Amino acid sequence: MMFDAEQRRMVLTLLIVAVLAALLLGITAQLTRQPIAEAQRQAMMQSLMQVLPAHANDPLTDTVDDDGIHYFIARDAQGKVTALAWEAVAPDGYSGSIHLLIGVRPTGSIIGIRITDHRETPGLGDGIVRNKAWLASFVGQRLESRRWAVKKDGGDFDQFTGATISPRAVVKTVHASLQHFARRHAQLMQALKGEHHG
Amino acid sequence: MAERESASRHILADGFWNNNVIFTQLLGMCPLLGVTTSVENAFWMGAATLLVLICSNLVVSLVRSMIPAAVRIPAYITIIAAFVTLVDMAMNAWLHDMYLVLGLFIPLIVVNCAILGRAEAFASKNSAGDSLLDALAVGSGFTFALLLLGGVRELFGRGELLGYPLLGNDYPDVLMFILPPGAFISLGLILAAINIINQRLENYRKQQAERAAQQAQIPAVEAG
Repeated sequence: MMFDAEQRRMVLTLLIVAVLAALLLGITAQLTRQPIAEAQRQAMMQSLMQVLPAHANDPLTDTVDDDGIHYFIARDAQGKVTALAWEAVAPDGYSGSIHLLIGVRPTGSIIGIRITDHRETPGLGDGIVRNKAWLASFVGQRLESRRWAVKKDGGDFDQFTGATISPRAVVKTVHASLQHFARRHAQLMQALKGEHHG
Repeated sequence: MAERESASRHILADGFWNNNVIFTQLLGMCPLLGVTTSVENAFWMGAATLLVLICSNLVVSLVRSMIPAAVRIPAYITIIAAFVTLVDMAMNAWLHDMYLVLGLFIPLIVVNCAILGRAEAFASKNSAGDSLLDALAVGSGFTFALLLLGGVRELFGRGELLGYPLLGNDYPDVLMFILPPGAFISLGLILAAINIINQRLENYRKQQAERAAQQAQIPAVEAG
C-alpha cells in the first residue's frame, strides 16, 4: 500500500475534521444530557398531570410493572391509590404509531387521555390532539358504558371530517387497553397492596 | 472605506433579497414544505437553519486554505452535520416543546442544499467576516421566506396568526393550505407577487432614469 503525499494529505484532513467534529459533539452531548433528561421528565410529568387527579406522591417514581405495562400510580395523603396511568401505543395511525397516556380510577373509569407523540396529518388527523371536545368525550367512560368504535363503525365516538383513521386507531387502542386493565385488575391491585405494605 | 461598505451592503442585499434562497434560487424546499404550517414553526426552523449557516460558513471560511480541493465536499458536509447535530441536541434540551413539533426536520437541515451551497460558493472563497455577513443575509432571507409562507398558510388554512383567530372563530380549516400541496400553491402565488413587485420596481427605476435623461437634455436644447 503506497500513498503519495497528496493522498496522505486528503486522508489526514478528513481524519482531523472528523475527530474535531466528534470532539465537539461529545462535549455537547455531555452538556445536554442532563437538560434533555430533565426536559423529557418535565414533558412526561406535564402529560401525567393531565390524566391523573391531584396527588400527594410522585407518580414518576411510584410505579408498578405488570404484564409488560409500566403503571404510574397516584395516591392521596393517606397513601390510598386514587388513580393509575400508563402509556399505550396505537400502531395503526395514518402515519405511524400514535403514543398516548391513559389515566383511570381503580374502578376502571377514565380520568383522561392525552396523545404524547404522533405523526398524523396537521389539520386532519391531528384533531386527536387539538380537538378538546373529542378528548373530553372519553372522560368518565368505562368499558361497559360505551360502544368502543367511531360512529362510522357503529360506535359512540366521533370521527373527524376527512379523518377517520386517526380517531379509529385511538379509540381501538383505548378499548384494548381498558380490556387489558380489567383482565389484570385483581393481580394489579394485589401488586399495589403488596408494594404499599412493603 | 466606502468601497468596503458598499461590498458589505452588496453581500447583504444579495443574500437576503436578490438571490434569496427560496424566492430566487428555489432551494431548501424540504423544510419549506414540511414545517411552514404555522408562523411559530417557521420561525424556529428558520432560526435553527440560520444558526447552522453562521457556524458552518464561519468555520469553512477559517479552514478554507487547509482543505485539499478534492475532499472539500465531504469535509464541509462533516462540519455542517456536526453543527446540525449540535443544534438538534440543544433544542432537545432547551426548547423541548418545539423539538417535539419540528422533530425530524431538524436533522434534515444537513441536506438543505442552501447551506452546502453557501459553504461551496461563498465561504470557501471569502474572508471570515464576509462569510459571516453572507450567512446572516442568506439565513435571515430564508427565515423571512419561511415566515411569509407560514403566515399565509396559517392565516388561510386555520384563520389564525400566531394562534390568534384573526378571521373569526368559526373559520373552517382549509385543507389545501394546511397540506404540503398547499405549500407549493402558496409559494407559487407568493413568487408571482414578488415577480410583479420586482418588475414594477424595475419599470419605475427605468422611468426615473429616462426622465432624468430627458431633463438633462432640455437645457441643452434651450442653450442651443
